[in-house]
Amino acid sequence: MLEQAAHPAPPPLSLTVGRAHALRFGRINLEVRQSIPAWRQALILAGAVITGMAISAALLIAAGVKPRALLDEFVVETLTDSENLHSILFQAAPLIFVGVGAAVAFRVRFWNLGIEGQMIWGGIAATFVAFYEIGPPVARLPLMMLSAVLGGMAWIMVPTWLRLRLRVNEIITTLLLNYVALNFLLHLVYGPWLDPKDAFPHSPQFHSYERLPEIGWGLSSALVMALVFTALAAWLVQSTRFGFYTRFVHDNPRMALAVGVPIKAVMLISVLLSGGLSALAGFVIATAQEGRLTQSFFEGYGFSGILIAFLARNNPIAAMIVAVLVAVLFVSGRSLQVFCQIPFAMVQLIQAIIVICVAASEFLMRHRLHWVR
Amino acid sequence: MVAALKLVGVRKSFDGFLALDDADFAANTGEVHALLGENGAGKSSLMNVAAGLYTAEAGRLFVDGEEVVLSGPRDAMACRIGMVHQEFKLVKPFTVAENVLLANWRGRFAPGVREVERQITTQAAELGFAIDPRSRVDELSIAERQRVEIIKVLLAGARILILDEPTAVLTDEEAVRLLTTVRTLAARGAAVVLVTHKLGEVTAFTDRVTVMRNGRAVAVLDSRSTTANELTQLAVGTTVAQPRRASSPPGAPVMTVKGLRAARADGHVTVTDATFHVRAGEIYGIAGVGGNGQTELVEALTGVRAPLAGSVELDGTGDTTGSPAEALRDLGVASIPADRFGYGLAGGLSVADNFCVGQMHKGCYGTWLRTDSAAMRKATGRAVGEFDVQGVRNLRQKAALLSGGNAQKLIIAREFSRDPKVIIAHSPSRGLDVRACAAVQERLLSARAGGAAIVLISDDLDEVLNLSDRIGVMTRGRIAAEFAAPADRQAVGRVMVHHA
Repeated sequence: MLEQAAHPAPPPLSLTVGRAHALRFGRINLEVRQSIPAWRQALILAGAVITGMAISAALLIAAGVKPRALLDEFVVETLTDSENLHSILFQAAPLIFVGVGAAVAFRVRFWNLGIEGQMIWGGIAATFVAFYEIGPPVARLPLMMLSAVLGGMAWIMVPTWLRLRLRVNEIITTLLLNYVALNFLLHLVYGPWLDPKDAFPHSPQFHSYERLPEIGWGLSSALVMALVFTALAAWLVQSTRFGFYTRFVHDNPRMALAVGVPIKAVMLISVLLSGGLSALAGFVIATAQEGRLTQSFFEGYGFSGILIAFLARNNPIAAMIVAVLVAVLFVSGRSLQVFCQIPFAMVQLIQAIIVICVAASEFLMRHRLHWVR
Repeated sequence: MVAALKLVGVRKSFDGFLALDDADFAANTGEVHALLGENGAGKSSLMNVAAGLYTAEAGRLFVDGEEVVLSGPRDAMACRIGMVHQEFKLVKPFTVAENVLLANWRGRFAPGVREVERQITTQAAELGFAIDPRSRVDELSIAERQRVEIIKVLLAGARILILDEPTAVLTDEEAVRLLTTVRTLAARGAAVVLVTHKLGEVTAFTDRVTVMRNGRAVAVLDSRSTTANELTQLAVGTTVAQPRRASSPPGAPVMTVKGLRAARADGHVTVTDATFHVRAGEIYGIAGVGGNGQTELVEALTGVRAPLAGSVELDGTGDTTGSPAEALRDLGVASIPADRFGYGLAGGLSVADNFCVGQMHKGCYGTWLRTDSAAMRKATGRAVGEFDVQGVRNLRQKAALLSGGNAQKLIIAREFSRDPKVIIAHSPSRGLDVRACAAVQERLLSARAGGAAIVLISDDLDEVLNLSDRIGVMTRGRIAAEFAAPADRQAVGRVMVHHA
């Protein structure tokens, strides 16, 4: 009591704290941006990707890769070695299909995590046509392709129907149906479709007319197909009435319903396209890369598709570009695996790091930071 | 006398837009001080500066004559400034006590909860209402949640209490109760700032009023010796004429609703037995306390929700019960929903997209294979001018950037530009300032003059009384009584309350 009386009443604590804090350090002020110019958006995005690559490089170096080897594998080899360039473009085709496929579904907020399942069904349906030799050889490849697309669409119809009719969350159903598809695939390649020649778990080799041809300069027609479908998807989402409606279903489905947008039809078409495109990824791997149905041709593509769509902000053209970059990562990752004993999981880790950096950069696009004194 | 809260020369801009331009404000202990202005005048921004949420680019803040610098809401709380925001900051699955505890933490959890529960009960009793500190916030009504917010800031020690548009979400009765509580608080020595754009509240419940316009305080007046007209003139710059309904004979019934029954998404039947009709060139007003089935009635009439029973007939078409929104819109039914950004607009899309989506399927803006963006921009540009939608810097600008009044004008532009036969308008002027409100009502009246049949469902009794030719009172999901204009306000009010 005595002590208190001896001193004048101290001012409330926070006042001094607030003032000192403000004077000495200033502080960062956050503002929500109303709009952001495209160049700044691109700059932030580039910054995020570079940050992600820097972190990835640090991780690879920590894992024992020499900086020199990193530069060699990712930059020098990619740009100079024509064989490497070919394998990247070869690798890009299925990645473009899954990336664009995921984007088309995400544009109507249908979270298709079943890309791998649809790829498997694409592969199975194509191989079905080849295995039972349906149609004349000339029409074989187109029939296989059609069959693959229908297979993928049929497989995605299950979760779609559950979602539209019974409001079952598609994240769960699409994901779990992947395992159903996988087990059916294993049944086929270990059972009725087992290659009688070598008794390995894969289907017999396709005939030459059942394989996607090369078109010169070492390029596969798979890449051409991928580019054509990307262009079609881009036209569909950007210029058509269907694309116009998908934007409403994405932004505000309740409002879309109220103003008469046929949201169920728009959703159904988008989702079927997504299933069909994913199935085509399976088709091109089977018919251009492997030449048969194997038990693991789809591995890793589901995650990559989601990632590509995310990085491309669901834009088909951007998805195509990102898919090529991911292909660089895939191919370089494989040689790192061979030459530096780096596990392939590292490639997925790098993908994840870049995704996290880009996702975090969203914050800087939505907000403006400035320093207040 | 030293002002409890004083702001001098405050400036604040958002992304280049100057929201506050050299704004001054002072409120004394023991008074209820109104802060009046149109939407976008800078009221909320100024108070957010006082509450430590915004950092001003220039200006000074004094509490009890001492200058302070706030680095955040926590500093504001330490200066005993508390703000109740328009959107409540409550964690819905938490109980009342947990929410209060979250805002002002005390020592250990379990004893803290008990202590807080006791304090909430005492504080509520002092303010003249009861609240169970153990009920979950999501089980409470809007008015009750607001009380929780007030108790929350009071228990945190607030002596300067800022209420941002507190009555916007309340019914007439609830508003009067709240404002009475606010007077009690001032009488006990608090300084209360009441941010509002309702003139009636200013003249009836406050001591002084600061009027803001375009980011500046333009006048400080004694609330009791001023008139609503004078305040409007200060807030708006000019006086706004109240829209008047010209008398004209109505035509034949256009929409006939019989025994309509509809349920919420959770299965709860809220529209039990709605029967009414509306004629061409007539406004049929539906008054009632919110939550008596209005929302589901609107949804059923606009095709968003399928009714369980009953019928809706349109003149010239016959039975349209259960038709989807697309079909009804093609038959000439237009809708102005209450939740503008929930059902009226897609905020993330452009003004042009939002305008054109309604008529897209008719082929007005290109074919299936190609949308014609030039035609879209042309039509939107024309409508934006014709319907006086302001704040559109660019037709590609996101609709979410429009203020409430302009968003509503954009919806009206989309719905009215196709000459609808029936208009279902749900609380069309909710949350709008005087001028925007008058503009919206003017549109409804001119549509009526043009021969449209209008169903006006509104929580605002004055709006219903001013505009309607006939008035139905909706209570517990049915039209309990009908009145012809001019209806007796007291009589309508009695039906609203007694049957509820």
